[in-house]
Order: sequence, then C-alpha cells, then structure tokens
Amino acid sequence: MPLELLLILVIGGIAAIAVLLHLTGRSNKRVLSAASARAAWQRQFPESRVSQLIVADNGHAALIRDAEASAPLGLVWSFGADTVARTLQDIDLARTNDGLRLSFADYSAPRVLLHLTPTETNSWQQMIADHSAINSPLAEA
Amino acid sequence: MDPLTLPDVTQLAVPIFIAAILGEFLWIAIKGRGGRYETRDAVTSLIMGAGSVASGILLGFIAWGFFMLLWRLTPLDLGTSIWVIGLCFILDDLRYYWVHRFGHRIRWVWASHVNHHSSQHYNLTTALRQTWTGTFTFMMIVRAPLVLLGFHPALVLFVGGLNLVYQFWIHTEAIKKMPRWFEAVMNTPSHHRAHHGRNPRYLDCNYAGVFIIWDKMFGTFVPEQDDDPVDYGLVFNIATFNPLRVAFHEWVAIYKDVTQPGLTLKQRLAYAFAPPGYSHDGSRDSSETIKAKHLARNPKDAGSPGL
Repeated sequence: MPLELLLILVIGGIAAIAVLLHLTGRSNKRVLSAASARAAWQRQFPESRVSQLIVADNGHAALIRDAEASAPLGLVWSFGADTVARTLQDIDLARTNDGLRLSFADYSAPRVLLHLTPTETNSWQQMIADHSAINSPLAEA
Repeated sequence: MDPLTLPDVTQLAVPIFIAAILGEFLWIAIKGRGGRYETRDAVTSLIMGAGSVASGILLGFIAWGFFMLLWRLTPLDLGTSIWVIGLCFILDDLRYYWVHRFGHRIRWVWASHVNHHSSQHYNLTTALRQTWTGTFTFMMIVRAPLVLLGFHPALVLFVGGLNLVYQFWIHTEAIKKMPRWFEAVMNTPSHHRAHHGRNPRYLDCNYAGVFIIWDKMFGTFVPEQDDDPVDYGLVFNIATFNPLRVAFHEWVAIYKDVTQPGLTLKQRLAYAFAPPGYSHDGSRDSSETIKAKHLARNPKDAGSPGL
C-alpha cells in the first residue's frame, strides 16, 4: 500500500472514530458514589481497610483514609469512563484556580487535577498536608 | 538478490480494521451491550497502533537484516508451496505462543508488551494498542529456528502478519462464545478476554495467537468463567492517555529500579529480567503472590481454574 494512502487512512480513520465517539457521549467522565469509589479503591488495593472515604462534590475523585494509621492517604479518581487509584506518597501538592493539582513521582501517573469547591479545596489540602506531615520521617525525628 | 516478496498483510488490513471498529461501535450503540468505548482510550489505542506500524517501517530493517543473515547461512530451502506456507503458519503460531509467554514472564519483554494490556477497555481498538519497542526485546531470535529450517524470511514475516490479523477480531465483548469445536481448537474472543483479565485467576494464561491448543499443551489454559467476569487492564493501572507514557512507562520503571543505589548486580539484573513484580525486598507482588493473597481472602476459590 502506498505510504500516502496509508497515512490518509490512518489519520482519517482515527479522526472519524474520535469525532463519532465524542459526539455520542463517550467522552464523559465517570461519576463516583461512595460505594463505587470504595469498590474502585479496593479493586486496586484489595487488602486495604477503608476507615474514611470522602467523595468530591463533582464525583470525580475520592480521598481515602486507611484503618491502619501509618498507611498513607489514598486517592481514587475518574479516568475517562474508568478509575485509577494511588496512595499519596512522594507527591507535590499545589492549589489551582478550581481545586488541587497532585503530581506523582510516577511516569505512568504523572499528575491529576482535582476540580473541587473552595471548601473542599481547603479541607482536602489540609488533610493531605497533615497526613503527609504525620507520616514524614522529619515529623518522627 | 532474493526475489521472494510477499504483501504486508497488516498494512493491507487497515481499511478492514477501521470498518470493523465502526461496525462494532454501532453494534454496541444499537444493542446497548457487547462492550464499551471511551473516546480518549480508543484514540490512544489507535495512535499506539499507528505508531507500531511506523516503528516497524523505521526499525524493521534490523530484524530483516538478522533473518537474511540466517537465510544465507542455512543450506535448507523449503520453498513456498501451500503446504510449506501452512506448516510455517502453524510453527510460527507456536513461536508466537512462546514469545507472548516470555512477554508476560520476563520484565524486559513485558516492558514492550505491557502497553497492549494498559487499556481498561476491551474492544477492537484494544487490538491495535501495540508496542513501539518490540525490536528492543530481541524476541526476533525466537524466529531464528524457522529461518534456519528453510522457511524464507519473507514467508516467516508474512505468516506472522496473518497471525496478527487473525488476533484482531478476538478483541471484542460483542461475541460471547463460538461453536464448541472452534473454542476447543482456536483462540477466540472468550479465551482472549481471559488473557486480558487482571483478576488473579486470569493472570498469565491463554498466551495463544491463533491456536489455543498450545495453552492446553503447556498448561496455561484458563477458560473464561461466568462467575468471575473479566476485569480488564493492568494489575496496577496506568493513569495516562499520553501515547509516549503508554509506550515507555515500563522501560522508565525498569531504569529507575535497576539504577537505584545499594543493589547487588544480581538484584539489578533481576529487576530487568525476572518476572514482573520482582522486588529485592519483597515489597511488590508477582502473579504468584497475587494469586496466593487472593486465595487467602477467598479460600473457596482454591482449585478453581487459574487458582
């Protein structure tokens, strides 16, 4: 097959499929409830015992506290129509105009933007900072 | 000069791939069942497929040069009769089984293959989520016996292309089961769905390309279970749709692991070549420990397929 024709087919095909999926609502992010957030977290961390779970107002993320006091906080968030989860270790936390930005030391999960209400932004930032401080080696020293 | 030239069937199949994806999507949309599509996931898979073709065009000369070197060395030439093509297809499928098995059991090869499993969806676009870095696994060596046996390199690559084209249609949830005789011999959507599962029972099973008999022969066959729906994706799912991160994330992870301070040479090598999940301090889970922990939580599953 001539390279020009292959390129037209590939680029045209990808664009057509992307437009079709978007226009038919396949770009919507998953909305989490408390139950589905817990299930999504335990799908990734089946041995974790959740003691507290706070779902963001928009349903696109949930903050998880483990029953084990020394365990790091966790975050589960909407990833397209699916979910991903990470523990909040080795993170950089920054405020944005409408929430928080968490950057991970993980090439496969570089960062997540959390769209939160002003009240949520304050409380989540405080929780994450407090918990990180409790668990950091400097705090123990 | 060697005159034998055969078509690149994967390139020729591109229009069929696109039409089939549109057909599957319409089927799901109309019927309301048979799978899921998500825009960014599908686009990432398609870009990975395009990148894989581009990688083949750019780096294919390395494998081709290696095969032609072997072809000059071997005194055997089986020709290109229909029987030879059929035999080559079957033996190449056996080759595929082992390369695929290595792809799941040797981290260096997994680093290339992992991207194919990195979608949490299972539809025809997932079939095209292919590696960009296959050349660097050096799995071309597993094809060497075929060339040395007298199968022309062009024929070996041709049947390998047919093998990949066959595997396209089995990446679907729209087909539940094929006829019993077909399920017994051939790789099918049901068998391959199990292969894409991150459920403990489905880890490291069903490596077949075309014929599922290889898994039955070598003890890696696990049938899809109605009471354990397949959960697609990786044991530890990635959180990016960026094709570059999808393509290279495991290579980056290997680099970080191998270069961390305080390890012995053996530990560094194990991070590169041991099964995925190896860690020098036992802090990570391998397929074996994931299955064992699952059984500790669910003892009733002991002895069931895959566990």
